Order: sequence, then structure tokens, then C-alpha cells
Amino acid sequence: MSESTQALLAARGIAKRYGPVVALRSADLTVAPGEIHALLGANGAGKSTLVKILSAVFGADAGTIAVNGAPARLRKPADSVAAGIATVFQDPALIRDLSLEQNLRISNLDVGAVMPWLERMQLDSIDLDLQVRDVPLAMLRLLDLARALAKDPQLLMLDEITAALTTDQTTFVFDLMREWKERGRSVLFITHRLGEVLEMSDRATILRNGTNVAELDLEGVAETELVRAMLGEELAEAATGEDATARTGRTIGNGERPIVLEARDLRLRDKVNGVSFALRAGEILGLTALEGQGQDELFQMLSGDHRPTSGELVVNGKPLTARSPFDAIRQGVVLVPAERQHALLPQRSVRENLSTPLYNRISRWFTLARDEEERVSRAVERLDIDIRAAEQVQRLSGGNQQKVTIGRWLAAGFDTLLCFDPTRGIDIQTKAQIYDLLRELAADGAAVLLYTSELREIPLVCDRVLVMYSGRVVSEQDARTATEEMLLSAAHGLEEAPA
Amino acid sequence: MTATTPSAIAAGSRRPWRRWVRRHGWTTGIWILFLALIAYYSTLIPSFGSFQVASIVNNGSPFVFLAAAQAVIVIAGGIDLGVGSMLVLTSVTAARLMEGQPFAATILIGIGILLAAAVLNSIVGWIITVSQVPDIVVTLGSLYVFQGMALWVLPNPGGGTSEGYRYLFTGSNTGIGANPWPAIAMISIAILAVAWWLGRTRRGLSLYAVGSDTTAAYLSGIRAARVKILSYAVGGSFAALAGLATTAIAGRGNATTFGGNLTLNSVAAIVLGGVALTGGIGSVIAVVPAGLILFFLNPILSAMGVDPNRAQIIQGLLIVIVMMVTGLLEWRRQRRS
Repeated sequence: MSESTQALLAARGIAKRYGPVVALRSADLTVAPGEIHALLGANGAGKSTLVKILSAVFGADAGTIAVNGAPARLRKPADSVAAGIATVFQDPALIRDLSLEQNLRISNLDVGAVMPWLERMQLDSIDLDLQVRDVPLAMLRLLDLARALAKDPQLLMLDEITAALTTDQTTFVFDLMREWKERGRSVLFITHRLGEVLEMSDRATILRNGTNVAELDLEGVAETELVRAMLGEELAEAATGEDATARTGRTIGNGERPIVLEARDLRLRDKVNGVSFALRAGEILGLTALEGQGQDELFQMLSGDHRPTSGELVVNGKPLTARSPFDAIRQGVVLVPAERQHALLPQRSVRENLSTPLYNRISRWFTLARDEEERVSRAVERLDIDIRAAEQVQRLSGGNQQKVTIGRWLAAGFDTLLCFDPTRGIDIQTKAQIYDLLRELAADGAAVLLYTSELREIPLVCDRVLVMYSGRVVSEQDARTATEEMLLSAAHGLEEAPA
Repeated sequence: MTATTPSAIAAGSRRPWRRWVRRHGWTTGIWILFLALIAYYSTLIPSFGSFQVASIVNNGSPFVFLAAAQAVIVIAGGIDLGVGSMLVLTSVTAARLMEGQPFAATILIGIGILLAAAVLNSIVGWIITVSQVPDIVVTLGSLYVFQGMALWVLPNPGGGTSEGYRYLFTGSNTGIGANPWPAIAMISIAILAVAWWLGRTRRGLSLYAVGSDTTAAYLSGIRAARVKILSYAVGGSFAALAGLATTAIAGRGNATTFGGNLTLNSVAAIVLGGVALTGGIGSVIAVVPAGLILFFLNPILSAMGVDPNRAQIIQGLLIVIVMMVTGLLEWRRQRRS
């Protein structure tokens, strides 16, 4: 950016603290007109806080914001929109109990202004009378995007927009971003997927511990350089050491280990159409699929949340007919759900959250488990949870919250861990820690079923991998030799390419 | 090839009437229940005619207005325990001010009371948003404050109003007669107006938005605090409308009626009318038959020869059974989809 070009957005010295936790120390961000600018940083670096301040969700403690050279006072979301900034948040800001059309109306938008954008995303046939609660998450994100675009902003801020999208939906979004840039408008792009950053962005601002540590021109920059800038030199090694299995040692001789969980021709209405697999102690079985191929329902059945229409689930050699997760948990089958909110008590402390599963034991004997304290402390230590904000889990960053969801089961004990997309929207450092943890658990003899939508990570953590398509397992491969291309084509239901 | 093709939830993929029934199912169902009860009642007593209809509609109208007041506030995510004593306060104020006044003056006084109640209750809403004290606590306070104010305005039962004013709410100058139409018109106009406002205007929809998800509403550019105060203002004036109707029916005011019972009745009516106590869901149109059912269950049961002392048991069971049936239907729907 040359000196003469005026910045579209210039934020200087933005600071924000929540009680004792400093979310932003002093962050600068400059976005030029007509560029796609990436905002990068590890978990808790302050990205989301900065985005929320720029959208005027809350105010900053210090700092100035200028739009097109003029100082902007952002007090409420409408001010931010008036200044030409529109945001698509990580959680869609749509109201569940209203119809899509009513949602557009309350944000003062004309359906006519949104329609062209829906058309571009091939969503123009969608029925606007549908209630938000009945619309899948991926579609809500696209609708939220269309709603933001219809405000015709100078700066479009996209917070983890691709997290829940399928490959072709992502392509639509990228096309739209490019088009936006060609119009001379700007995009602030926040994502953990570095491949996407390099593919789409012109420049990147990197936050670390609430301060911007670098502003990079992305021409010819490699992923490893970004990682290094995000983590600082010493940590980068751990996160890019590529293979988690290499550090902890991949389990060998799986064939001799006992089968702890076996699914025999599981079916659930038309969603799951006969899934069979065996999960052995000490292995991590990967599972991947495009959105809505029955993986959600499969996990619901495995975790005891939903009874299969037909088929059998065998745990440790005994058939399991779970009426509720309680039964599955007692058999040692535990779930780490994708939505952290479903697993955590947001207003309670880390300690209480970790010991929630222990309540089963407490209530049975009318006495506190004597070793509760010790178990919880061990879990905190092992997970390396940042407990500065320990008195309320909702104050932790997303990555630390996810660690708590896994930590709950560490304290309670289990045989089989079902993980549903545990690294969605989480930074690479925490991601690496979670994968290391899973490998360690497997090495200690636990069985892990890991559903993930991030194909490139399967070879790094898993032993075997299953691919689901339209309610069936269409492919089983050795995770070490599986390539992204092979998995992707299987996930699209294509004939398996000869390996 | 896409996982979630747009056509999967596109227009016409479900039969439209099915969705209409689903969305307005509760409203339709509760109206059918109401009409069925009326029909049953007409077979119970030999002389069923316009006098009985007028009696139900006239005497039931305060319940309907009070239920609508509660519905508006609950839809926006609050709950107002004070509506019952707001009814008493406005009723005795009207009786005291209207005594001996000509028709035109009583109308002006009525309008003034509606506006004053809106202001008074918006102060309650303002206290809730500023202090962040839960609605149920602040309005528990307003319940007693308004009751005390009512006793202060009119310590002993008395007061009065004009004949024309009584006709407006009861179809008769004496409050007793066989003409249900003025009361039906009053209910229809007030309820349809607030239903239209809630469901069709941006401001009205923002009540549903705030009740459903305050954060998402805020991010959509809605000022949640103002919307909450607004819901209390509208609710307050509906409670005042119920108070004005009460004065017209009785022809006088009585501050010794305890508003808390009326409040509980309004909560029962909105629950029966399908308004979710968690906010964001419900229709004021369904609240009309629900309020009337709760009111005329007593005459039905006594016509059936049920001991009046046991009528309350049946009233309570009715609420629970209706909730169970609808819960069951929803569960079946989710299983099917």
C-alpha cells in the first residue's frame, strides 16, 4: 500500500479487557480499499474481540477507529453498518423463532436487495417463509452472508465463514469475495484454514497475545511462515511438526487388541443406511463426510442419544441398548460434541465442569468421590488449560473450552471416546495439543472415533479412516496412505480412484 | 452432489397447508376447543341464547385483555406479575374519576388511563433493563406497589361511570343484557390490532426477536433494551384496558380484589394459548379463546353438576393435559422428520 492511498479502515491501539483477562493489549489494523485482508492469530490472540469491537457489539477500552480517514464513533451495531462495515459472525445472527423473511425485515432490509445475492449462491429457490429453526446451519451462514452483502458495505468482515460449509459452498463464498474485491470493496477474512488465507488474501495482519505482531504481504509466503509469525519461533516447531503420531508413536499390532465398540448394520430411518465397523482399543478411527451424510445421526446413536431403527451396537462384547447417554456413559462410551455449549455449563467454573461427569458416582453413593479433587487437577494439568478465567467457563477462549469438554471425560474415565469435529474453529496450536492428547489416550489403550471435516488432518492423527456418503460407509482406508484427493472423491460418492 | 441442496428445503417441497397447520396449529386447535365447549354448553342448559353468549363475552373480556397484556410481555422475553394489580389500579381510578361524568368525559378519561398505564408500566420495564434485576422480581414488587396505589385511590368499593361507557364494553346501560356485539367488537379490534402490529411490523417483530435471542437481535441492529420497555408499555395499556372493562361491567371500582390471582389467571391463559414462557413464540390471537375458556369453565362445570369446589382441579388438569397433548404432537413431528 503506497503512502498516498487512504486506508479504508484504520484501527489504532485498540485495547479491551474482561475483568482480569486482557483480550486485546494494543492492536492496530489497517485495511486498504479493494483488498482481501486476513486477520490471523492463535486462539485467544484477540481476533474475535477485535471483530466485535469493529462491529460495535461492545466498545473498546482504548484506541481509535477511522473509516476513510474520518474518525468513527461506533456505539451500537447500527453505527458500524452506517460506517460501511457489515459482519458475518461465527454464529449466525438470525432469530430461530422467526421466518427468514421476518429476519430480513427486522434488520431493515428489503427482500429485493437480498435476492440477487441468494441467486448468486443458488439459494434463490429457498422458501423465505421457513422458520430459521428448520434451516441447516450451512445455509444460515450463507443467508447471513447475503444479508451482510445486501447492506452494500465498504468492508465485509467474515469470521470463520467456511467452518461449517461444504466444498462447493466454500467455492461460492470465495467467488463472491473475489467479486467484492473487483468492485473496489474490501474483505476482512478470519479463518484458521491457512490454505484458504494464502489462496484468497492479499495481505494479513497477525495478532499474538492481543497485539499485532506482523503485517505481511502474502505474495509468495509459505504456510510455515504464517505459522511461525502466529506462534512465535519456539512453538511453531510443535504445531508444524506435521505428524502427531510421530511424536507419540503410532500404535502397532492393532489386530491383536480387543474390539471395544462394534456397529453391526446400524440404520436410522433414511439417514443411516447400514453402517458397520469395529473399533479396537488403542486405535484412532477417523471418519469423514460432507455435511449431512448421516454422520450426525450415527454419532447420536453411538452416544446413546438416539435409538437405531435397526442394527446392533456391541460394547465390550455385550449388546448396548442405550435409552439415554447415561447408559452409554456407564458402558464407557463418551461423546465430545461439536457444539461446546452442549457439553459445558457456561456460567460454572472449569473445576465444576470437569467434575460434572463425576456426579454419577456421587449420586449413587450419596457421597463425594474422594479423589475428585485429584482427578480434576490431573485433567487440568494434562490439558494445559489456561485457567486465568477459570471461574466461568464462558470466559475461556474457544480452544480452551474445547479442552475442558475433553477434560471432563479424562477426569471421569472412559473406554471409547467419540469426538465430533473437536477442532472446528480452533487455532492450530490448540489443535495440535488436542491431536497429541488423542494420540496419548490411544497409546494408553483408549479407543477413539474421530469425525473431522478437515481432510488434511486425517493422516496426521488417525490409524484408519472411514468415509461416509449418503448414510453408508463407502470407503475404508489406511489413514497413513490416504490422500486428500482420495478422501474427497470418496466423500462425494465418486468411484474410488485407484490408489 | 451437494450435501444440502437448496431444493431440499425449497418452496413447494412440503405441502403448504401442512405447514400452515403446523405454524398455526395451536391457534386453530384452541379455537376449535373453545367452540366445542360453547356447543357443549349450549346442550347443557335449555335456554341457551344470546344472553348466555353476552354473559361469557362481556364478563370474559377483562380476562382476554389481561392475557393479551401478559402475552405481549412474555413474547418479548419478560414476565409481568404486576398486570393483575395494574387492572385493579386502573379500574378503581376509572371508577373514581368517571363518577357522575357525561359519556364524552368518561371516554377521554379512559384514553388518559390507557396512556398513563403505558407510561407507568414502561417505568417498570425501564427499571428491569437498567438494574438487570430479573423481570419476575421487579414485577413482584410492582404487583404490591400498584395494589397499594389502588387502595390509596379508592379505599372503599365505590365510584361510578356513565351509561354509555358501560354500553361500550357490555352492550347494555346496566351492564347486564343480551347484546354481545359491543364486547365482541372491542375484543376483535384490540386483539387484531396488536396481532397485526406484532406479526407484520418491524417494531412488532423485534419483540419476537428479543424474546427469542437477545444477542442475535442486538446484532441485527435491534435495541433490545428499548424493545423490552416497549413491551411493558404495550402490556401495561392492555392491562388498563382490562381494568376499564372491569369498571364498565361492575359499574364501580373495588380495590380489595387482589391482583395476584388475576395475574396467575393471565399466565394460565397464555400457557393454554401456546405462548412459550421462554419468549419468542406465540400468538395473541390464540390467547383470546384460552382466556375465555378459563373464564367459562366454571359455568360449564356447574351446569354439569360438578361441585364448584372441585372446578379448580379440573381447570388445573386441563392446562396440564393440553400441554401434554401438544408436547406429544411436537415429539411425533420431530420423530417423523
